Amino acid sequence: MRKQVLSGLLGVLAAFVIGALVLLFQGFNPVTTYGALLQYSLLSASGFAATVTRAVPLILTGLSASIAFASGPVNLGQPGQLIMGALGVTLVGLFVRLPPVFLIPLCILASLLGGALWSGLAALLKRAFAMDEFIVTLMLNFIADYFALWVITYPLFDPSALSPMTRPISTAAWLPDLGGVNTSVLFMVFAAVVCWLIMSRGRSGYEWRMTGQNSLFARIGGCKVDANYVRVMLVTGALAGLAGGLMVMGGPHRFVKGLGANYAWDGIMIAVVAGSGVSGTFLYGLLFSALQQGAIGMELVTAVPSEFIDVLQAVIVLVVVAGRVSLNMVFDWLATRRKLKESAE
Amino acid sequence: MNVLFGLFSAMLIGATPILLAAIGGTFTFYAGIFNIAMEGMMLVGAFCAVLGSFFLHSWFLGILCAVAGALVMAGIFVLFAVRLHTDEFLTGIALNLFAVGLTTFLLRDIFHVKGAFTDAGIRAIPAVKLPLIDDIPFLGRLLSGYNAIVYVAALVTVLSAFVIFRTRFGLRLRAAGYNAVCLSSSGVPASTIRIWSLIVCGVCCGLAGAYLSLGSVRLFAENMSAGRGWISLAAVILVSGNPWGIAVISLLFGFFDGLTVFLQGSRIPTQFTAMIPYLATLVSLYFYSVRKRKQA
Repeated sequence: MRKQVLSGLLGVLAAFVIGALVLLFQGFNPVTTYGALLQYSLLSASGFAATVTRAVPLILTGLSASIAFASGPVNLGQPGQLIMGALGVTLVGLFVRLPPVFLIPLCILASLLGGALWSGLAALLKRAFAMDEFIVTLMLNFIADYFALWVITYPLFDPSALSPMTRPISTAAWLPDLGGVNTSVLFMVFAAVVCWLIMSRGRSGYEWRMTGQNSLFARIGGCKVDANYVRVMLVTGALAGLAGGLMVMGGPHRFVKGLGANYAWDGIMIAVVAGSGVSGTFLYGLLFSALQQGAIGMELVTAVPSEFIDVLQAVIVLVVVAGRVSLNMVFDWLATRRKLKESAE
Repeated sequence: MNVLFGLFSAMLIGATPILLAAIGGTFTFYAGIFNIAMEGMMLVGAFCAVLGSFFLHSWFLGILCAVAGALVMAGIFVLFAVRLHTDEFLTGIALNLFAVGLTTFLLRDIFHVKGAFTDAGIRAIPAVKLPLIDDIPFLGRLLSGYNAIVYVAALVTVLSAFVIFRTRFGLRLRAAGYNAVCLSSSGVPASTIRIWSLIVCGVCCGLAGAYLSLGSVRLFAENMSAGRGWISLAAVILVSGNPWGIAVISLLFGFFDGLTVFLQGSRIPTQFTAMIPYLATLVSLYFYSVRKRKQA
């Protein structure tokens, strides 16, 4: 655990140094750039609130990818599952008329179901025909993308809009802002705590992680590996779906073209950099959210394009992941040397 | 008749980038690398092609830039996955995301546009009339007059089949994937072979990228590889790396890609026709899995 924290901190630091070099090379001032980044994401009240709100889809899709990777299934379908979850909420929000007390839980349920439906399809193809979920989920992403585009261009198109989008969902399903922070954060934190409990304290989480590390061992130990596979796929799909649903309920209150276009891949990136741990995913989700939120202010103050953050994020991933392996090698080397010394004495 | 000709040429045009990337991928496949970075290499290649073609006023230098850009990506892959022993899958994912971030950033930073960059100053790769075949009435119309890269792709396919199965390098390449320890202990470091396979993959993906941005169009758009790298990966896995099999699969995908363009005028919404290549991947994966299960 301490090694994880150390390699993470060193990696992020190294990535920021590389980013600073890129900025210098492009003729920008790294100090003012990073200052603006920090100012608009964490140090101002409005920036901090926006950072926390933005973290909702990032952390949820990150958790989805983390739990999947830690448990074995290579679920890369978060983008598609997010879209299906958002579509589920949009359908319920447009056509069901209920007071908020009932409508909001119903919408949450619809988002979970939408995501689980899409990941369940991949799980079904795997179980029935042994089709690799890695490629299936990827292809389903593109299919979901075009399907949603069709839905908002034809059947659910808002005639008063200029670009493809639906009409706004029922106001009873809107999640209000509390002091600038959207209440969708509460759902996200709740989901994260549940994930942590399942993965670190629950029996099913233990079985899943064992299966992820060595499925043969898990099978011999008595785990129902196949049933667990389906469960993991459904749960991770539901998490990504929830991300999409909360985005609709908290943000634009309708399905707009390009909804969540990047968030879901960011989720995979966060899971990778966090080494598929739940708490790590939470922290890196906040970090990436702060970077993305700060990027908007950074672009206003300095001339650095906000896309610089996309590069910085990818550099963080590469450096931290590579650093983890290299640091482990250094630790092993140090441990071996210490043992050799002890045995020599 | 015209429809058939159109469909055939649309098939070749659609197949070319997938074929090139998949041939690149098959070298790393045989070398035993789980390389999923084709998408990113292709995207960087496409961007560098526009960069080179626009600033150096030459399509040939554009292609060279594309290859150089993709090679830099391959170099990063080598550094992390081969040298630092980072997980290949994670390196690939990170590289693909890096490619998206880098190209959007540079698009903004160099060309000051968001979304897509197109300019009359970008030189496109010219079409080539095959010297002898062009004069034959039917065959000439069928096979001649395509973009130069289309013929390069065909050549690369034949060459790769020869290199992989008929040369010493090919033997070592397959040995690196089959039993790396055995290869290394016989005096040929498997990591060296793997590095070479990634270099070949970089060159192929660079060409594929150049074709995307300088082939039938002259523009770079954000994320314009649009999953072709993933489809090429699926093609490699589906035929277990055989270059001839890859050619067939790529042509199949090219056909469906061409169909997409063809159905655009029909009553089927474009959103559904655009799904076809991805659905085709799923269907071919289904047949592959069923066949594999029967063999087992």
